[in-house]
Amino acid sequence: MIKPASPFGFLLILACSFAGLSAARPAVAGTAAGTARIQDPASSAQRYGCLVCHADKRRAYQLGIHSDRGVQCHDCHGGNPTAFETPEAHGGDFKGSLGKLESLEVCSSCHTDPNQMRQYGLPADQIAELRTSRHGQLLLVEGNLDAPTCSDCHDPHTTLRPDDARSGVYPTNISATCARCHDDESLMAPYGIPTGQVAEHRHSAHGIALYEDQNFAAPTCIGCHGSHAALPPNVGEISNVCGRCHVNVRRAFDLGPHGQLEGGEAPLGCTDCHSNHDTERVATERIAQTCEGCHEAGGAETTLGAEVEQVLRRAESEMESAAEAVEELVRRGHEVSDERFRFRAALSEFRNLEMLQHTLDLQQMMDVERLIASASMDIRGKAEVSAEEKWEHKLFLIPIWFFALGIVFLAGYRLRRLRSETPDVEGTAGNGP
Amino acid sequence: MLMRVRTWLGQIGDDIRQSTDASLLSSLRFMGLLYGRIDRELPIDQALRKAWGRRLPSYVGWRHSFGGIAYLLFMVLVVTGVLLSFYYRPSVDEAYASLQYIATEVPFGWLIRDLHVWSANLIVLAILAHMARVFFTGAYRPPRETSWLVGVLLLFVVLAFGGTGYLLPWDQWAYWTSTEVMNVIGQTPIVGGAIVGLLTGDVFVSGATLSRFFALHVIVLPWAAFGLLVLHFVVVRKHGTAPPRGHVETQDAGTPYYPDHLLRMVIVSALVLAVSISLAALFPRAIGDPATPFEIPERLVSSWIVVDVSLGLIRTMGVWGFVGFSALGLLMVILPLVDRDTEKGLRRKPVVLGVGLLFFLGFLAFWAVGQQIDSVPPSAGIETRILEERAIPTPGASDVNAGGDAEARQEP
Repeated sequence: MIKPASPFGFLLILACSFAGLSAARPAVAGTAAGTARIQDPASSAQRYGCLVCHADKRRAYQLGIHSDRGVQCHDCHGGNPTAFETPEAHGGDFKGSLGKLESLEVCSSCHTDPNQMRQYGLPADQIAELRTSRHGQLLLVEGNLDAPTCSDCHDPHTTLRPDDARSGVYPTNISATCARCHDDESLMAPYGIPTGQVAEHRHSAHGIALYEDQNFAAPTCIGCHGSHAALPPNVGEISNVCGRCHVNVRRAFDLGPHGQLEGGEAPLGCTDCHSNHDTERVATERIAQTCEGCHEAGGAETTLGAEVEQVLRRAESEMESAAEAVEELVRRGHEVSDERFRFRAALSEFRNLEMLQHTLDLQQMMDVERLIASASMDIRGKAEVSAEEKWEHKLFLIPIWFFALGIVFLAGYRLRRLRSETPDVEGTAGNGP
Repeated sequence: MLMRVRTWLGQIGDDIRQSTDASLLSSLRFMGLLYGRIDRELPIDQALRKAWGRRLPSYVGWRHSFGGIAYLLFMVLVVTGVLLSFYYRPSVDEAYASLQYIATEVPFGWLIRDLHVWSANLIVLAILAHMARVFFTGAYRPPRETSWLVGVLLLFVVLAFGGTGYLLPWDQWAYWTSTEVMNVIGQTPIVGGAIVGLLTGDVFVSGATLSRFFALHVIVLPWAAFGLLVLHFVVVRKHGTAPPRGHVETQDAGTPYYPDHLLRMVIVSALVLAVSISLAALFPRAIGDPATPFEIPERLVSSWIVVDVSLGLIRTMGVWGFVGFSALGLLMVILPLVDRDTEKGLRRKPVVLGVGLLFFLGFLAFWAVGQQIDSVPPSAGIETRILEERAIPTPGASDVNAGGDAEARQEP
């Protein structure tokens, strides 16, 4: 590094820096240098030999994140980009189209380096994770080329960040990316893996939350199976996987008789009642029926299930009545902030009740049900008062019509008398009623 | 001093004695309201007697009551409108709350508000009935074309009253219906965009629109209506009521306005008021959720007959149906310029008869159609289309939320 020995020396360094001649400039492999290279004429076909023949790849590449970071054709494919003749350009360490293993090797050359990845906030353990996955075992251990490599999920030229809506690994696109292989019956058959999971997921509660409500907290394939370390959860892991999001339900489940079971008698967990890919909320009226899937009809367990169902049904009915009462109060012009607050409190208790059903603790559930009923009664009370007022409005019509008909009668009587007094006048009118 | 008091008391005694006659203003005189110079020098009583004693042709009957009904309903709207304006606050933050206050807290506020709403509906029917009577009797022809022109303009003013008043509740139904109507008006060729820009005062229906509509509703339109009403009455008074076709002039002096026609109007008025109050009590206009431009309601509830007609037109014939029917209404204005032949009956004027029938029957038909349509804002379809494009099943088509209970527990 040049040390400015005098003010003149300092000015010299400053001038050189502006001129791009500074000897103190560090070597940067990051954004600044990458951007500089994109803007550099070397990226054009006149300077960069690859583009002479592979111009079609240029546009796709420029849309991707690697273009911004300064990664160029020869960084992955090797060869000599300064050459304009094929033999020379494809000489040296030229790799050509990358195979699955080569692709993995090329990607890992940067993506396993924490020092390079840290600046982008990216982890550097994807390859290590991949080795633990079923995909990685097939590809790296068995050399099975049916298994995907990096470029099968991440477009190798237009590589995009996962939060870019155009990316194949964006939450709403990722199931389609997985489906490219997992909906291929011929590809899945040798491994005994069924297809159609993606369609099931789209119909599921999670799919509806994700695709219709755009709720990105809802899990896609990778939410449960992992991404680079993709594996189906073991039987014993299912409640842990679901419990990552459904924390309170998992806690309630563990407190209940199902959660206390161990060893061979332990049930699968959440998916026993809610299914896996076509995850659904068990409708209240099907709770007892669901119990009969494992327990004997008419037994103590199904009776308990029926009682749980009844508690939930009553609570649902209270909530519906309260919602209708609030709606009715709004329609009649009442200020309902207090009622809405009570309803929210009741709704919170209802969610608690839904969670508590997994404990199968009937007493605790009925305590919560009473709270819901109390809030509902308060709301309905105001609606009933309003309904009485509406009824009084109708009673108001009795004097109105009595008065109106009285006027009609008296005026009609007077009019009739007038006509009888002057029959000729009305007789010539010809347009009377 | 005593003499003065005695004289003064004597004068009062004379006035009271005079007030016991059959004078029209005897009650006012009895209370001393017309005591003194006003009573002696201004011939109010005499003018009233002359007006009430005016004789109308003998062919004026019950079917001529529709104009009077329209006027009565207009006065009901004025009175209830003034009462509503005591409590209504035309701002985005306060409009909805003031409406709630009127409907639930103000003594008889519910009656005043719903009487205003129902009168706004009934006045349209009354005017159309009045207009139909004039049309089918050919009473729009010279020399009464000015009366017809002013009458049709009054109809437009009443429609403008309803259109501007419709937004004032500032609930979701009012907001999105106004938005929809603005969108349709905006598609009118050449002038649509400018009209909508002037009316809304913003790029969408907002607080600026509410202020403009309120100003038009309570300041501009009342003066326009007042001027047109005076002109209408003056012209009607000048040319009189048109005789029925084939009427032969006789020496018949007709019937006096008082008491014959006045009694008739009293009967009709009592019935119309009773019906209006009954409709207000039995079918109050429900209030939607507070207006918000960020949330499209699942459905719109119409509370004005013209909205039903517009809805029927837009849903069955598209925007051009709405524009075309409006053009038909404008055609009715210039009808006297086209059909000036007082000799021929309407049966010999098939084009004119067709235009009239199309207008009146079309109004009734599209009213019926509009009432049957469960209105959804057009913008609400956008989300459905997106879902269809993505081939994602809607909740109704799936058994995921079986029983629909999840929806029922949504916060109201």
